[in-house]
Amino acid sequence: MRRFKLRSKRQGGRIILSALVATLGLLAGACGSDGGSGGAATTTASPSTTATPTTTASPSTTDAPATTEPPAEFRVAIVAPSASNDLAFTQSIVDGVAALSGVTEVHVTDGTFIVDEAAAAVRAYAEDGYDLVIAHGSQYGGALELIAPDFPDTAFAWGTSGNTFGLANVSAYTAASDEGGYVMGAMAAALSESGVVGVVGPIEVGDAKLYVDGFVAGAAAQDAGVEVNVNYIQSFSDVALAAEAAQGHVANGADVLTGTAQMVVGATGVAAEHGAKWFGTQANQTPLGADIVVASQVYKWEVVLQGVIDGIKAGDLGGEAHEINLANGGLVIEFNDAIDIGDVKAVGEAAIAGLGDGTLTTAGPPAEFRVAIVAPSASNDLAFTQSIVDGVAALSGVTEVHVTDGTFIVDEAAAAVRAYAEDGYDLVIAHGSQYGGALELIAPDFPDTAFAWGTSGNTFGLANVSAYTAASDEGGYVMGAMAAALSESGVVGVVGPIEVGDAKLYVDGFVAGAAAQDAGVEVNVNYIQSFSDVALAAEAAQGHVANGADVLTGTAQMVVGATGVAAEHGAKWFGTQANQTPLGADIVVASQVYKWEVVLQGVIDGIKAGDLGGEAHEINLANGGLVIEFNDAIDIGDVKAVGEAAIAGLGDGTLTTGS
Amino acid sequence: MVPLAAVLASFVIGAVILLMLGADPIEGYRALVDGAFGSPKALSHTAMKAMPLLLVGVGICIAFRASVINIGGEGQMIAGAIVSTVVVLNVGDLPPLVLVPLVFCAGALGGAIWGAIPGVLKAYSGVNEILSTIMLNIVAVQFMNFLLRDPIMDPAQKTSGRIPQTERLSANADLPILPGASRLHIGVLVALAVAVFVYVLLWRTALGYRLRAVGHSAAAARYAGMPVKRTIVAALTLSGAMCGIAGAVLVFGSESHRFVTDGSSVGFTQSAGFNGIVTALFGALHPLWTIPSSFLFGGLLVGAETMQRAVQVPKALMVGLNGLVVVFVVSSERLRRVLRERADRETNRRADHSVDDPATGAGRSTDSSVSGPLGTATP
Amino acid sequence: MSDFFTLASLVFVVGSGIRLATPMLLAGLGEAIGQRSGVLNLGVDGVMLLGAFGAYYTILETGSAVAGILVGVAVGLIMGLAYGVITVTFGAEQGISGIGIYLFGLGVSDLLFQKQVGTPLPIRGFSDWHIPFLSDIPRIGEMFFQHSVLVYMTFLLVPVVAFLINRTTFGLDLRAVGENPAAADSLGVSVARVRYSAIMIANLLAGLAGAVLAIELGIFQQNLTNGQGFIAIALVYFGAWRPTGVMAGALLFGLVSSTVLQWRTLGIVSGAASSLMAMAPALLTIVALVVISRTVGQPSALTRPFDRGK
Repeated sequence: MRRFKLRSKRQGGRIILSALVATLGLLAGACGSDGGSGGAATTTASPSTTATPTTTASPSTTDAPATTEPPAEFRVAIVAPSASNDLAFTQSIVDGVAALSGVTEVHVTDGTFIVDEAAAAVRAYAEDGYDLVIAHGSQYGGALELIAPDFPDTAFAWGTSGNTFGLANVSAYTAASDEGGYVMGAMAAALSESGVVGVVGPIEVGDAKLYVDGFVAGAAAQDAGVEVNVNYIQSFSDVALAAEAAQGHVANGADVLTGTAQMVVGATGVAAEHGAKWFGTQANQTPLGADIVVASQVYKWEVVLQGVIDGIKAGDLGGEAHEINLANGGLVIEFNDAIDIGDVKAVGEAAIAGLGDGTLTTAGPPAEFRVAIVAPSASNDLAFTQSIVDGVAALSGVTEVHVTDGTFIVDEAAAAVRAYAEDGYDLVIAHGSQYGGALELIAPDFPDTAFAWGTSGNTFGLANVSAYTAASDEGGYVMGAMAAALSESGVVGVVGPIEVGDAKLYVDGFVAGAAAQDAGVEVNVNYIQSFSDVALAAEAAQGHVANGADVLTGTAQMVVGATGVAAEHGAKWFGTQANQTPLGADIVVASQVYKWEVVLQGVIDGIKAGDLGGEAHEINLANGGLVIEFNDAIDIGDVKAVGEAAIAGLGDGTLTTGS
Repeated sequence: MVPLAAVLASFVIGAVILLMLGADPIEGYRALVDGAFGSPKALSHTAMKAMPLLLVGVGICIAFRASVINIGGEGQMIAGAIVSTVVVLNVGDLPPLVLVPLVFCAGALGGAIWGAIPGVLKAYSGVNEILSTIMLNIVAVQFMNFLLRDPIMDPAQKTSGRIPQTERLSANADLPILPGASRLHIGVLVALAVAVFVYVLLWRTALGYRLRAVGHSAAAARYAGMPVKRTIVAALTLSGAMCGIAGAVLVFGSESHRFVTDGSSVGFTQSAGFNGIVTALFGALHPLWTIPSSFLFGGLLVGAETMQRAVQVPKALMVGLNGLVVVFVVSSERLRRVLRERADRETNRRADHSVDDPATGAGRSTDSSVSGPLGTATP
Repeated sequence: MSDFFTLASLVFVVGSGIRLATPMLLAGLGEAIGQRSGVLNLGVDGVMLLGAFGAYYTILETGSAVAGILVGVAVGLIMGLAYGVITVTFGAEQGISGIGIYLFGLGVSDLLFQKQVGTPLPIRGFSDWHIPFLSDIPRIGEMFFQHSVLVYMTFLLVPVVAFLINRTTFGLDLRAVGENPAAADSLGVSVARVRYSAIMIANLLAGLAGAVLAIELGIFQQNLTNGQGFIAIALVYFGAWRPTGVMAGALLFGLVSSTVLQWRTLGIVSGAASSLMAMAPALLTIVALVVISRTVGQPSALTRPFDRGK
């Protein structure tokens, strides 16, 4: 059905496109590149290395190999600002799309540096029924934001950007080109004999700025004594100016150069002439000078685009932002083996490894960012404290984490918070609602230190306190619904500590979820009045089982006693705060896991940008801060669907937990 | 000398444990000492920590001198905190000059009530005080939890959050900070004054004499016409009062200036009701010796936190080492006594009486530095 | 409330009370023997914690519950030996050294757990043993005869310990040493030997109590005992140093706890009131003792070190 529809649409579209092509008076290119694994797609691009606007037309899909089961048609259109073979920005997307599988046809409109023209091309491709239209230029965003809503059934991708405008049919993609820049910078600093390195940039925006900043940081990290001169020539296209800028760098003693954007082809010529080494980016620039290009940062957009395309085929037109980086293989440093750079290669590889595993950041000489956590129970309690320790461990840009755990005495926690603040920690996390009263009085004493307090929604109106809380009633609701659906006896047991804070929230949500699922199910709640009495928690669980409960849940660190009872009686268990599967692989059905990093990353990024806090944050199902992790070892049949329905309902607001 | 050697011996064992855990003992202990005594700030932390230990410790001195084993310091601290909090919640408008002394008195009253109960039970119903004080600790914790979750809960928390705590208590009741200090408040002066007061009470008053006489031998005291039962009640009441003051100090000298519970006893008392016993016994059940003793144990507790931060070894290690210190010190007492007795014998050529004789057994506590009068019969 | 007075509910409460009483009873029996010899050990809770961790860690590593029990017992014996050296050989003050032992056990078990295990992983102990025939008796069987073997073992120890104290030569020596060590000594009884034995047995049972707790719960955590060792000491006073009395105290405490627990499960009490109900076991233990109003004195030489003073 869909195929026929698309095909008919396409007929009309092609006419429009042809008209567009004609009116623009563009030249048809003859230089083709590899057509990708679909085998049928052929891309043709202009042979010109300048930014001559070029439109390419692809052979029709009837060229597809006539197999008995032809691959589903999937047509991709690219609109890009420079030439398809610019050995830079545009080539990266053309090569990337060519590397995708499951694409039957690719059309490229390149050289459209005029935004309005690009917009027209995008609209034309959409009208023509292309399955994915890629607007490859950050400057195209404003136009795309207005075009995309007109074609709700067409998928668009926009790069380089992290913004989808909240549109469900737009995917955004960007490159962490600062990472490659950092690697190049480190190598350049190591390679330079004169101690001077030159950078030729276009305009200080977007991807170019990212690359250059990363490069400068990498060089500084490698050798702070190396001088890095940056010259943004204020043009993406002025090759002559780029060449002149390179000449200037060499005149100032630079023996290693780099540059980004399509006009750098002018600069590489200068480098070759003076025997200066070159570091490339966006595509493998070795062809520009086999004896000078040491290494290139190559963009492999296919790493993220493949997912986008697979999603589109599955009916998901977009709505997400993607990034290629060293860790996910979307950025690759390709060395030119023809040049022997000795130990410098090891410098690059070390930087790649460090950025990949997060021990290095491109924010200059690893910007120190020290986080301290004060928490009431043990770091590995599989519950409340573990959630924050794991959350902080998942943050990027943190160089040091110190944990003072087991401080259930509020005044001791207060002393620890104060000590960390005095020690100059960048962020001090008071992870316990009971710590709030103390923090309210401590934080004003340290106006330059950022504090975070959870679980709470209150910042006391202090600009250096962030509050964070979990909508644990949501997970509770999901668990409750599943528990009610799972219980055969119709009795479900809950073991709680004291009826306060997060525990109460979870339990109330659980009760509401169970009631919503099946009002006939009896949910017995037992608050044992202790956060620590494991034996009493076990006995409370025994009581639930004796009263007929075959499904149990519980919250706080003393529940480890209750899970043992559940295991003994074959009762199922729903966990919260951390993934509790280790407590019983054959009984723990699912766990609500807190991903504090979802809100804390923003807090930390804010602190680095000078914003110490003042806001309250919440993790919930919708923002991915609360995740229901199922234990796949237990087959719960339809009950999983019950849980997923509840998750979806709470996520999109059609359900509420009633609290 | 001997206690110092005992401390050193436990720290050597601690060093071995640290090495086994892959931590540098030198660095760890440096952090410990630095954190406890290394700077004015550290000393202030230590003094803050020592304060409740000293108050409970002198309370323990009173009880144990009267041969009453008060394990109920935890509960009595909570009771003192409750009464003082309730008072301030009701008359928080009073000026600091009135309110602060009132806080201490209310704390003492609460502790006294909670101490009097096991006192009366022991004196008039023959209920052993170890049993009743342990049980009353449990009762006090749950009563605290009850109060903080409803009757005296912060109104703001009743609607959202539901943290079991009071509102920020009247600033008029904040224990005044000592001049030049950042956190150290007058509680430390009060604690020192209370220690001196208890010393005077025990050795310079008729009641003190009665307390010690009953402690030596209840039978002899009764024979001498002393009101033994009332003295026992007085011992536990006074002991509880001191613990109650410690409880009030923990509320009104805290960082949060609130009364907060985490549902457990230690969560509020910081185990002072318990560690205070060790402190008192380490101070030879002498109120004045309890002062340096509390400072030492306070320092170890504070230093443990610093050590945890420095070498990431759980402060549980220090809890264990404190236990070893205690064990080593009391064990070395015997050695010291034997040495001294040998010296005595050589000078006097007079054979000693066996030390387990009840009268001398109890009397030892007056001259030996750590042994307490735990060993006398109940009436 | 009507939910509570159903047979099934009451049957459960009894069974639950028995389970809760078990570790306290074991430790209390040991403490009673120790005190009968004149030695107070306030370190029960610490020894329980060490025994619990030892058993837990052994089972975690080997999977053998029997090995776990043995390690728990061995830990108790070692601690008993140490406590004997401290209180008998060195004649140290018992109250304070017991607290030292408690702190040592509390700290070291916590430290080892954090360093050796970390995340609380569950262990499997003994499954419940339904005693043939007896367990089939309606209600009664459910209440009393469907427990872990460790529960039966504990309650069987009550008559065993009573027999040991009251009907054996060792028991005679024990009581003599506890009441009048000088007289016992003059009759040729080695006070040191008897006290050492008593302390070793007492600590063995404390270590075992910890092991039983850890195995029954199938888990370890910092301060797993949550003060049960201290309650056990209180129960020795409640039971007037008699095994049956200690058992009565443990059962009273356990049954009141389980009753309150069941009320909460059934929703009979909730909210802030459940804090008040949590006082009940402790309050009723005191009240019961006041009502019974015992006149039995403690062993005369309790806490008194013995020195032959040669």
